[in-house]
Amino acid sequence: MADEVKNDAPQKFKVTIDNISIDVEPGTTILNAARQIGGDVTPPAMCYYSKLEGSGGKCRTCLVEVAAGSTNDPRPMPKLMASCRTTVMDGMVVKNITSERVVEARNGVVELLLINHPLDCPICDQAGECHLQDLGYDHGKEGTRYEFKRRTFEKEDIGPFIQLHMTRCILCYRCTYVADQITEKRVHGVVDRGDHAAISTYISKAIDNDFSGNMIDVCPVGALTDKTFRFKNRVWFTKPVDAHRDCENPKCCGKATLWLRGDEVYRVTARKDQWGEVQSYDGKPGWICNTCRFDKKKTDDWTVEGLTTISRHSVIGANKYAKLDMPADTIKKVLHGRDPKLLMNIHNVSDVNNPNIHLSEIERPAHMDDFAKSGEFVKGEGESTQWGLPKE
Amino acid sequence: MKGARMSKKLLLEKAHVEGIRTYDVYRREGGYRSVEKAFKMAPGDVTEEVKKSGLRGRGGAGFPTGLKWSFLAKPEGIPRHLVVNADESEPGTFKDRYLMEFIPHILIEGMIVSSFALGSNVSYIYIRGEYAWIVDILEQAIAEAKQHGFLGKNILGSGFDCEIYIQRGAGAYICGEETALLESLEGKRGNPRIKPPFPAVKGVWDRPTVVNNVETIAAVVPIINDGGDEYAKIGIGKSTGTKLMSACGNINRPGVYEIDMTISVEEFIFGDDYCGGIPKGKKLKACIPGGSSVPILPANLLLTTAKGEQRLMNYESLSDGGFATGSMMGSGGFIVLDEDQCVVKHTYTLARFYRHESCGQCSPCREGTGWMEKILLNIENGKGKMSDIDLLWDIQSKIEGNTICPLGDAAAWPVAAAIRHFRDEFEWHVLNPDACLKENYGLAHYADPIHIPVLQ
Repeated sequence: MADEVKNDAPQKFKVTIDNISIDVEPGTTILNAARQIGGDVTPPAMCYYSKLEGSGGKCRTCLVEVAAGSTNDPRPMPKLMASCRTTVMDGMVVKNITSERVVEARNGVVELLLINHPLDCPICDQAGECHLQDLGYDHGKEGTRYEFKRRTFEKEDIGPFIQLHMTRCILCYRCTYVADQITEKRVHGVVDRGDHAAISTYISKAIDNDFSGNMIDVCPVGALTDKTFRFKNRVWFTKPVDAHRDCENPKCCGKATLWLRGDEVYRVTARKDQWGEVQSYDGKPGWICNTCRFDKKKTDDWTVEGLTTISRHSVIGANKYAKLDMPADTIKKVLHGRDPKLLMNIHNVSDVNNPNIHLSEIERPAHMDDFAKSGEFVKGEGESTQWGLPKE
Repeated sequence: MKGARMSKKLLLEKAHVEGIRTYDVYRREGGYRSVEKAFKMAPGDVTEEVKKSGLRGRGGAGFPTGLKWSFLAKPEGIPRHLVVNADESEPGTFKDRYLMEFIPHILIEGMIVSSFALGSNVSYIYIRGEYAWIVDILEQAIAEAKQHGFLGKNILGSGFDCEIYIQRGAGAYICGEETALLESLEGKRGNPRIKPPFPAVKGVWDRPTVVNNVETIAAVVPIINDGGDEYAKIGIGKSTGTKLMSACGNINRPGVYEIDMTISVEEFIFGDDYCGGIPKGKKLKACIPGGSSVPILPANLLLTTAKGEQRLMNYESLSDGGFATGSMMGSGGFIVLDEDQCVVKHTYTLARFYRHESCGQCSPCREGTGWMEKILLNIENGKGKMSDIDLLWDIQSKIEGNTICPLGDAAAWPVAAAIRHFRDEFEWHVLNPDACLKENYGLAHYADPIHIPVLQ
């Protein structure tokens, strides 16, 4: 029987995206076909998440032009299609970056996604691993044409683990799919509609299900961030390493990425693949439980496997993991062998972080006082230089 | 007005008979004949009659009803449903309310026949929450129909079972979009679904579903009574049968009119049997002929097409010239603006409506509608810039066609049409920031005849 099914297996569909052809299984979406090709051909996706059933179609950043529907019906589709929710047909011809219409529409969507975004990246914990930042970098304009007050929401506390910043939300609905499909029960959702629609628990209920922390990982922006990591470090200063532990929760895969600074574990996340999605193991998405994520903040809790591979284009990987041929240090040479301390290690000199405080271990979000050396940042004390440089 | 005559009436013929709201009077006046007739036919033949009639969906899109019915998937063992869309929320449209309020039995009768044709044993009326009192009227009509054996098990001994349930909406325009309606009917948040799959394959509870407008289903009654061919004889071309128009705005006789789609727009506005002209002898400036979503037209393009022909009240003629010089029949919400109306303010009002009613699912509609509203308010209040007009145009073009459901288009079109035809008025608002707060731009040249060269 099984052999028969194999024999009857449908043929693969040939789809051409930006002049590159690939054969894919019937039922594959244009976006996933493009991901198989990879590179610039792949449309960006802010709301689609391959591990969450029903996601996609909303953000409209993945719009593509279907120049020919199929071999049998080669007519073009009149409207741009959401590539994440449009399945390929045999002989389909798709234009992504080769279509002016697509490029213009996508730039328009990005502009619209940003008009009400607070652009508070300098104080946002998501900065550095934010998909909206990447999208804005790739498709955004330098300035804005929006001259109105940006949208704000009333603050809502959704519990001890997750920080909700509704102003940053792009309403991708991913977190609601996580709650529906991975946690026992969804206690939050989208309330209201249109530009005043908001992620909320409605009655300020705490989201504390065993797997609720995965909402943080699927959030493409800084709307849902890890409260235990809040304001403690920039992601690009931390060092990601792959680690695992024997988690007692049967639904937890126990495989995570630890974000270290020295030996301190600042943050634990699920491992991400090249599309920013949670990695799959044996076809199952590697979600992690809240215990692994929020409670296991010691390196002893984990078996460290090694450095996480980080894409070269990511700010997290910048200057860290790529093998760079550093130019030879010429200062010593031109100074005839003298070795002045012109270039000092900023960390040794400045003590930016108070050596007596372990940021990863404080219960609350980090505060500016936590970064101050004793006596610094105190009002009225003009003597001390604010950068902590040694006074001569 | 010259030779005004009343159109043939099929739906509202008995609307003013005393007590027509009750079963007894409705039945005495010939009601429920179509059910008796349909049960002697095969379900497929009922659909065939509807196809022959050329009936087009009366909710706005104008899609051929018979064709829509024939798309309904009929997998073994899976129930199918008819859902009547009574979520009439398009500003300017109130025809379904009139129909349901005065002759509720025509809807119930049409639903029984349509359910029989489609094989729907449980059919639904999804009605907008604000029509609370109509729910009582319809519940009464359903109870009466059931009492007389037209609903329930084995109707009239035909072996066909049918129940009708009413579901009230909670006040969202978006739930008039058929897939948002189905989500809401299932008890979920009314977000439009991504199509495909279409409701005909996967509708309510993933079952094959047909969603039709109230007027469409009511029109099935005369089609079965008189035959599809007879129905198709009324009207012109592909605009067959009669259409209910909700006329409002600056007219002497606002209300619901049943027209046979052969009369001219001019006759409809100025004819004594219809809108009865514009109050206080004012001049016609503009009109939105098919509900708030369709393009607004200045008087000169409304009464005659760009080709110089008289424009008629039907699907083809109203859309003659495309969006460049035409509009749409839409849902038949006919809004008339006289010379003292401000198109900028009017467009702002509509933009505010669409901003408020966007479901917020797709980014272009969620963000774009709010942006357009803010810019329009600035222009209306004399705080606009010349560049704002081009910016508005750009925003609407980024929304149109790029959203899951047609609400994005519906929000973009009124803004686009207002700028296309009334750009002078927008510019006047920008250039006269003080004057625009005290007076209106007025009629200007909008009623002057225009001659557009016909390209060979």
